[in-house]
Amino acid sequence: MAGGTSDISELDQEKYDADERVKVICLGDSAVGKSKLMERFLMDGYRPEQLSTYALTLYKYTTTVNGKAVLVDFWDTAGQERFQSMHPSYYYKAHACIMVFDVQRKITYKNLANWYKELREYRPEIPCIVVANKIDADMKVTQRNFNFAKKQGLPLYYVSAADGTNVVKLFKDAIKLAMSYKQNSSDFMDEVMRELENFELEQKEESSDKEENVSKDEKTNLP
Amino acid sequence: MEFVAKRCGVKFDPPSIILVYEDRKTKKIRQRVMPVRNFSKFSDCSQAAERLKNNARHRAYLEGVPLRQLERLHDVLRDHLRGRTLEESLASLRLDPDQDLNKLSDEELARKKAQMDELFERNRKRKEDPDFVYDLEVEFPKGDDQETCSWDEDESEDGF
Ligand SMILES: Nc1nc2c(ncn2[C@@H]2O[C@H](COP(=O)(O)OP(=O)(O)OP(=O)(O)O)[C@@H](O)[C@H]2O)c(=O)[nH]1
Ligand SMILES: [Mg+2]
Repeated sequence: MAGGTSDISELDQEKYDADERVKVICLGDSAVGKSKLMERFLMDGYRPEQLSTYALTLYKYTTTVNGKAVLVDFWDTAGQERFQSMHPSYYYKAHACIMVFDVQRKITYKNLANWYKELREYRPEIPCIVVANKIDADMKVTQRNFNFAKKQGLPLYYVSAADGTNVVKLFKDAIKLAMSYKQNSSDFMDEVMRELENFELEQKEESSDKEENVSKDEKTNLP
Repeated sequence: MEFVAKRCGVKFDPPSIILVYEDRKTKKIRQRVMPVRNFSKFSDCSQAAERLKNNARHRAYLEGVPLRQLERLHDVLRDHLRGRTLEESLASLRLDPDQDLNKLSDEELARKKAQMDELFERNRKRKEDPDFVYDLEVEFPKGDDQETCSWDEDESEDGF
């Protein structure tokens, strides 16, 4: 894939505080179709930036919401277990989450509970959409009620990255949710972060280890 | 097509790919053994498959065999060179809906995805297709008549 390779600590995540920027993350088991969904939404207009050390791919997308230009960063990672150590920085400052399972594999549905639990540890308030992907393989699943979403009070979208059903709607809605969360949130975690950032800044005048502060913040201050 | 491919297989010693085919002219079923040369446990299976498919002597016979299938046969040969049993090897090439794919190595995961790709490509709508719609929205009506998902039946165990 195109794009440069860099380390996650080089990522400036403070930029997500700017009004016109949002971060949307994708979660879900290996091979549920997270990357295929991204690619279907962005078609050929995408410039993925691969961070190979963490199997992390960033997709940048520009759009307008209510007449305002918005730059969206979609974060996509591998579902494989050995990448799970990167998660604190993955969740950091995310404004919305797209959580995917594969309608052909029950285990990926059952695992939603784990993904969701982890998401809420780091981001207790952000909007989250549950996605039933691969409905092209078996349209009958759209008649089925998946209780997980209902129980958690989350919207459920039936989609197919293969034939495109509801993919664009999913991403557009996710962006809208991210924007409105950002404008209205009084997320406690965000406040804590902000204070800590200020604290870090003051400290930095003495010692300047800029690279580290993102991950350090998270490790010491998240539950 | 002069030859109609019927079945494929492998032979481990020496590493070879076997094709059972029908000769259109004679209507006879025949078997062809194609040794895989310069092949080791470090070889790239997709390259090796391509090499075989384009081999001047075998090309005509392999016309009806998809490249992906040849690649899988090479996977089996290479697994054997790496000390894997045939059973393990075949299992890694099959999709088991209950298997947790989060625990696989990159290579094993790629095999599973290659299997999934067959359906994906079949159902895929491309930009070039005349009926392609970028923003394809379909509403699936919600109602009380919706079936409860059997995946939710053992709910209490999982706590959701
Ligand atoms: N039939 C069908 N297959 C799909 C669909 N989306 C993805 N697939 C298949 O699923 C495979 C895995 O998709 P990926 O997008 O790589 O999955 P992922 O969630 O990004 O996986 P990791 O990055 O490994 O966690 C693909 O190779 C496709 O073959 C879909 O909508 N329909
Ligand atoms: Mg992926």
